[in-house]
Amino acid sequence: MEYNTRAGTESGAGYGAAGTWPAYWIAVVRVLTGWWFFHAGFTKLLEGGLTFDPSGYLQGMAGTVLAPVGTTLAGYPGIIGPMVVIFETLIGLALIVGLLTRFASFGGVMFMTMFWIGNAEYAHGVVNSDFMGLLLFTTIIVFGAGRYYGLDSIVERTGLVQGAPRLKYLLG
Amino acid sequence: MTDTLDKAVMGLSGGLMMLGVVGGGLVEFLAGPPYVPTTESGEVLTAAAVAPNVRAALVLAALLVLFVYAVYKLATPVRGQSQHSERATAGD
Repeated sequence: MEYNTRAGTESGAGYGAAGTWPAYWIAVVRVLTGWWFFHAGFTKLLEGGLTFDPSGYLQGMAGTVLAPVGTTLAGYPGIIGPMVVIFETLIGLALIVGLLTRFASFGGVMFMTMFWIGNAEYAHGVVNSDFMGLLLFTTIIVFGAGRYYGLDSIVERTGLVQGAPRLKYLLG
Repeated sequence: MTDTLDKAVMGLSGGLMMLGVVGGGLVEFLAGPPYVPTTESGEVLTAAAVAPNVRAALVLAALLVLFVYAVYKLATPVRGQSQHSERATAGD
């Protein structure tokens, strides 16, 4: 049996089948993942503005494989704290509406990598909920989830993107 | 081709799921603090604008809709395929 692994789009990513179950479900996953991050960021914003202090968490990464990153970033709480609040919120919003989906999901991958390594909750194995969150973002990138019921499906049809197809690596 | 029933199930299950997760969350935002209706240990705060159990029930209902539809699809013949071709597809 032959399989068309490049079905749907020029980039070889995506089903090209809006309206079908896979397209529907990847959109659901995208929106709920976006809500997860938006909720995390926006509640921090409502409760404390941009004063979120991640230094305790980052210092707690000592002993993990990302300890040098954590301890270095912990020295700049005035920069990293607001960045966490703003980026969590923006990543969430981007995924909810499906705009710049891959770019935003890359940010999600960065966050979830830090959480997965930083939390180091390996009591039940390395495949834990943080790792599952990491997989969600990578899956959204691979499937170009913004193309399904998302604004990226419109943006990708514009002349700007048609003239610079590499932008699809940030959209989709 | 996605038919009307598929779209109805997508709409119902997706709507219930979004209502429970996003809709309930938006109500929590509008109702004011606390914005997270449970503590870190999972204790439900009485101040929650929408009971977490209600939100969970909506999501559960969405999953139930998908499950019932899956059972229906398993129980009905595949459209446009003979029994022979259905067996061939399943064996691929």
